[in-house]
Formats: sequence, structure tokens, C-alpha cells
Amino acid sequence: MELADRAVGLLLSIISLSIFTYYTFWVIILPFVDSDNFVHKYFLPQEYAILLPVYAGVTLICFLSVFIGYVMLKSKKKKA
Amino acid sequence: MKHIIKIMSLLVSVSAFWISLLLTSIIPESYTLLILKWSTFLYQLPIYLIVSLGCYGLLLVGIGLMRFPTCPYESVLLQQDIVEAKEFLKENKVDVGSD
Repeated sequence: MELADRAVGLLLSIISLSIFTYYTFWVIILPFVDSDNFVHKYFLPQEYAILLPVYAGVTLICFLSVFIGYVMLKSKKKKA
Repeated sequence: MKHIIKIMSLLVSVSAFWISLLLTSIIPESYTLLILKWSTFLYQLPIYLIVSLGCYGLLLVGIGLMRFPTCPYESVLLQQDIVEAKEFLKENKVDVGSD
């Protein structure tokens, strides 16, 4: 059990660090690099740097609202 | 109430700093290409800060999971305590449930 916890913790840390480095490169370093450099191949166009987090945030908020509404409806139905 | 005022003042100060940085790039300087790149970076800065805050939270959760102590010695002692308590209660004719 302890090994599974540590494996999941390590996986989470690696995922968060990789997302952070990729996003830092994308947002901060790439605008200051010449447009015909080869690194631009490895990154999506710059508009997606804004669209992807906004889309993820909107999806998260929608999921949370649906979940809260479902729990509220279920509790009201059980009481009635 | 004080917490809300603290958070709102922090938010207002950060946005004022961001707007002042934006205004410095409107002042005409010689290198317009550098200005374009700098303003692109500035417009993406708030979302970048929010994403990095989320990553930092995930990192803290992962590191906490890795370092969580399981205390195996105390777990063994607790199991012994449970067995003793069950025997004592059974002697005093208290129903301790299924074993």
C-alpha cells in the first residue's frame, strides 16, 4: 500500500513538473525566439496556449456544477 | 470580512502592476518587433500564472503523498489494543459484533 501511494505521488509530481516546463517554454521563451527556428515544430501555435487552459477550466467548472446539482437533487428526492 | 478585503487588495495590486507593464509597451520605442514579442508575453501572463499555480498545487499533493508516514509500529500496537478491548468487552457480556 505504501509503495502504491509513493508511485502515485511520484507520477503526480512528474506530470505537474512536465506540464509546468512545457507551458513555461511555450508562453515565456517561444515569443522571444525567431519564427524560423526548429523548436517551433514541437509546440502548437500560440493561440492554443490560451485556449487549452481556458477550455480545461470551463470543463472543470461545468463538471463541478453538474456534480453539485446532481447531489442536491438526489438529497432532495431522498428527503421527499 | 477581513480575508475578503485582503484577497481583493492583492488582486487589485497584481492587476494594477500588469496594466502598468502593458502601458509601458505602448510608449513608442525604436524596436517594434521587441515590443510585439513583449506584449504577446504580457497578454499571456495572467493565464500562465494561474496554470503555474495549479501545477504547484499538484506538485505539493504529489510530494505529500510520497512522504506520507504509515507508522507500522503504531499500527501493530493498535491492533493489539483492539484485540484486548474486544476480549475485555466480551467478558463483560457486551456484544462486540462479528470477528
